[in-house]
Amino acid sequence: MRVTEEELVKAARRKDLTVRWVSRILGYIVVLGTWEWASGRVLEENLLPGPTRVVQTAIELFNKGKIFSAFEATLTRIVLGVAVAFLVGAALGILTQNRWFAGFFKDAITIGLTSPGLIWVLITALVFGNRWYGPLSAIVLTTFALVTVNVAEGIGTLPKDTIDMAKAFKVGVVRRNRHIVIPHLAPFLFTGFRFSFSIGWKVTVLTEIFTASSGIGFEMRIAQILFRQDEVLTWILLFFVFALFFEKVVLQAIENRFFRWRKEIAST
Amino acid sequence: MTAVMTESAQSSPQSPRRSTRRLPLALRVLRSPRLARVLFLPAVLIFWLISNKLIADSWGFDSSVLATPIEVWDFMYAEVTGDTVAPANLYQTFGISLRRLGLGFVISMTVGTTLGIGMGLSKAVNAFFHDWVMALLAMPALAWALFLSLILGFGDKGPVWAVVLAGIPFVIVNVREGVRSTPRDLFDMSTAFGVSPLKRIRHVLLPSLFPFLFAAARYALSIGWKGLVIIELFGGQDGAGWTFKFWYDAHRLHGVIGYSMFFVIFALVLENVVLEPISRRVFKWRPSLNQPDIVEEDMDVVKYPALADESLSDRDTIIQEKN
Repeated sequence: MRVTEEELVKAARRKDLTVRWVSRILGYIVVLGTWEWASGRVLEENLLPGPTRVVQTAIELFNKGKIFSAFEATLTRIVLGVAVAFLVGAALGILTQNRWFAGFFKDAITIGLTSPGLIWVLITALVFGNRWYGPLSAIVLTTFALVTVNVAEGIGTLPKDTIDMAKAFKVGVVRRNRHIVIPHLAPFLFTGFRFSFSIGWKVTVLTEIFTASSGIGFEMRIAQILFRQDEVLTWILLFFVFALFFEKVVLQAIENRFFRWRKEIAST
Repeated sequence: MTAVMTESAQSSPQSPRRSTRRLPLALRVLRSPRLARVLFLPAVLIFWLISNKLIADSWGFDSSVLATPIEVWDFMYAEVTGDTVAPANLYQTFGISLRRLGLGFVISMTVGTTLGIGMGLSKAVNAFFHDWVMALLAMPALAWALFLSLILGFGDKGPVWAVVLAGIPFVIVNVREGVRSTPRDLFDMSTAFGVSPLKRIRHVLLPSLFPFLFAAARYALSIGWKGLVIIELFGGQDGAGWTFKFWYDAHRLHGVIGYSMFFVIFALVLENVVLEPISRRVFKWRPSLNQPDIVEEDMDVVKYPALADESLSDRDTIIQEKN
């Protein structure tokens, strides 16, 4: 029997795929298995609760209704913080169109990009105490620069010809911004938002540890103080999975839909 | 001044750029972005003092709870000269932390490089670890801090583990990418001539891996440092992060701001004085590889238009530096 080259390639590809999937599943089994095995043998079960224990705790917490209220509190903070950071960042990005303001805010943006969230969390905690705008300002200070950089970058690539034409035809400032600048900036704004979210959720949880009496960070801290490792792990994993899901699936889907009319952006 | 005026008067006002030259010098200076940049610092200081006053007035507490720029400066000066109220002075605390960072860095580089080479060479090994490495990559340092501090308690072990866990996924991913970008031809040739696998790794793989290893080292250091500070804050009894928390617990705002500045300065020094010159020196012989093009399917990095022309390493650093 003769075997064509095409069949050989196909067979090789199929083999490749099985190898990949088998090792992938094996990876899950080995890692989760080691974790489950190590709990209670290598370390005490209280120190390292296994995956089954974590799932049990998650169900327990869910039945107590704790999960819902904690997520609600944290998500409210995130949405508020990221929204304000977005407005401030975008306003700054638009201001830096002007060369003078670009010079003025240059260092502010560098500082905003490089300083870790922890610094702002502690400073605002001391200044504002438990007031709601303490954590808010920490989130804003940590994430605004990311939006600014994106907006400024978008402005740098503005279609100058179109704007010049609009100016020549005496189109007003408001209409010029509405019809040329904002549509051009939209993708940059969107990525700025996604970007600040991915950092925003981590900072929010950090602020809750220091200055909140509700939310996921608060629950994590309490669990740590009470030495309940299973609850610490459960909160961490729940929120981790949630944030990844939101970022990678929900936002990605929205973005793809939003920019369907511009294929070159939607494809990224 | 007059010379400028006559010169600009003589030149024909054809380009719009020239026309600004006619402005009087004072106005031109006022309008220059450089002056604006210089003005930023005094503006911040004034804003700081005014908001101090406003906050103290509106909440009706003693304004000595808040810090003034001068207090912060005095604090930083005292710390730098080794005069401190905290249990250990600036050099001792940073020394303790740097030792932990160094140890964690060596471990994460060794283990990460081994795993990365394995993942780059074999598809099966790659599939085995891939999802877990990606999960590690996106894990916030805070999670490790709380988790490890309960298991390992206060001491050196927790912080070192935190450095390893924070840095290792970046090492793995970069090394894997480096292995994948090794020139295939050289590899095939050495296989054809029957060069032993060990020799192949030593003479073909490692040289082309070097820029990626360097990038990995950079990540491991800067991200490991962030993780270290956070775990020292929650589960430590000494070190830079713990001292930062010490001032926070003592409710000394000038101490907290001063220490924040030390962290920022430390990061800048590490990047510009230590890593940058080394990278320039090491890669002098192959200028094109000065900035390796690291491509990775990073779960934590959003693909975004801005900074697209810069190397990906900057993006990651920005993202990761925040947690």
